Amino acid sequence: MLPVRNVHAAMRAMVAAALALCAAGGALAHHSFAMFDHKNKITLDGIVTDFQWTNPHVFIELDVAADQGAIKHYSIECASPNVLQRLGWKFNQMKKGDKVKLLVNPLRNGKPGGMLEEATLADGRVLSDGNPPGGVFER
Amino acid sequence: MRLLLVCAAVMLSPALAAQTATVPDITGAWGAYPGFRNGPPDPRFVPPPATEMRLKQPYAQAYEARRKAEKESDARGEPLANASTECLPNGMPAMMFAIYPIEILQSRGQVTIIAEAMSQVRRIYLGAPQMKMEETPPGFYGHSVGTWQGDTLVVDTVGVKESVLGYRGMPHSDRMRITERIRLVAPDVLHDQITVEDPVVLEKPLTFTYAYRRMPGYEVLEYVCENNRDYVDEQGVTRMRLQER
Repeated sequence: MLPVRNVHAAMRAMVAAALALCAAGGALAHHSFAMFDHKNKITLDGIVTDFQWTNPHVFIELDVAADQGAIKHYSIECASPNVLQRLGWKFNQMKKGDKVKLLVNPLRNGKPGGMLEEATLADGRVLSDGNPPGGVFER
Repeated sequence: MRLLLVCAAVMLSPALAAQTATVPDITGAWGAYPGFRNGPPDPRFVPPPATEMRLKQPYAQAYEARRKAEKESDARGEPLANASTECLPNGMPAMMFAIYPIEILQSRGQVTIIAEAMSQVRRIYLGAPQMKMEETPPGFYGHSVGTWQGDTLVVDTVGVKESVLGYRGMPHSDRMRITERIRLVAPDVLHDQITVEDPVVLEKPLTFTYAYRRMPGYEVLEYVCENNRDYVDEQGVTRMRLQER
């Protein structure tokens, strides 16, 4: 098992290789990631309401404290379970009630959703989602 | 005596000899070569570049227009819907791209290829006659027959649905024929040289090669598209379904 930071570096290399492959004439695993703002990153501190270890994407449902005691709910898309598993994620490492910090590329349409870049778990571990750096997959 | 009889039978029957000859062991999980965390590829095993994709009209014009529209819509952050939006499988030949690992199983009379992405399965019937194109029910993977020619598994595929887009989103007709030459170029490196012929859509055959590395011990994971949050709005744009609190 690679240390988490090495996993990050490995994932960046993996994504670069995937992009190169895609540019060379490949296929797309699921969809274009153009709906997310890859130039913008927001940090969400919140409480997990659901961790969905599902295809085609893993989702983290998150409650974030807003102004005057209100709660804003976010749906955060992650990579697929097989990609995350190969990166060292586990299906049960996040659960309802966990306090987490998520670094996210928000939806470009302003709705409360986004794509995960990095998750800091309740125990302090940091896990990458391995997003394409700033970009859209070429097909 | 029995041995002599067997030897005689083999000598008399080239077909039988071909069937009983040892074929390469390509069973197991394979990932795209060189893959991740594996360093740079060995130049000896890097596949040759693809030949030029030359589409006939009006397909060429439609293809370019679609690529342009995709690029523009992506730039606006409003990706156009495509097959992947609906979680449809890649089909042939795109599934052989192996964005996630593939698994090859060799059994009597059949080679089966399973792609982890979307749990796609194709069956290659060894030594079986190919169906006539016009009688092959269209499907995502088509109908595949194969033979071992020396160290190379040669596979012929017809009957891929016209809605299944191929290499770089290439369109095709019901006259498309795919010929694959699958061969170990090293004990743990496999090449699939894929040639697509389509007299309706292509000016000339297109050939490209995918390379794979053996992944000993890797267990291919299930992939059921149960939580597809993508949907297509009235403008044909892909949106993400958010969950209410």
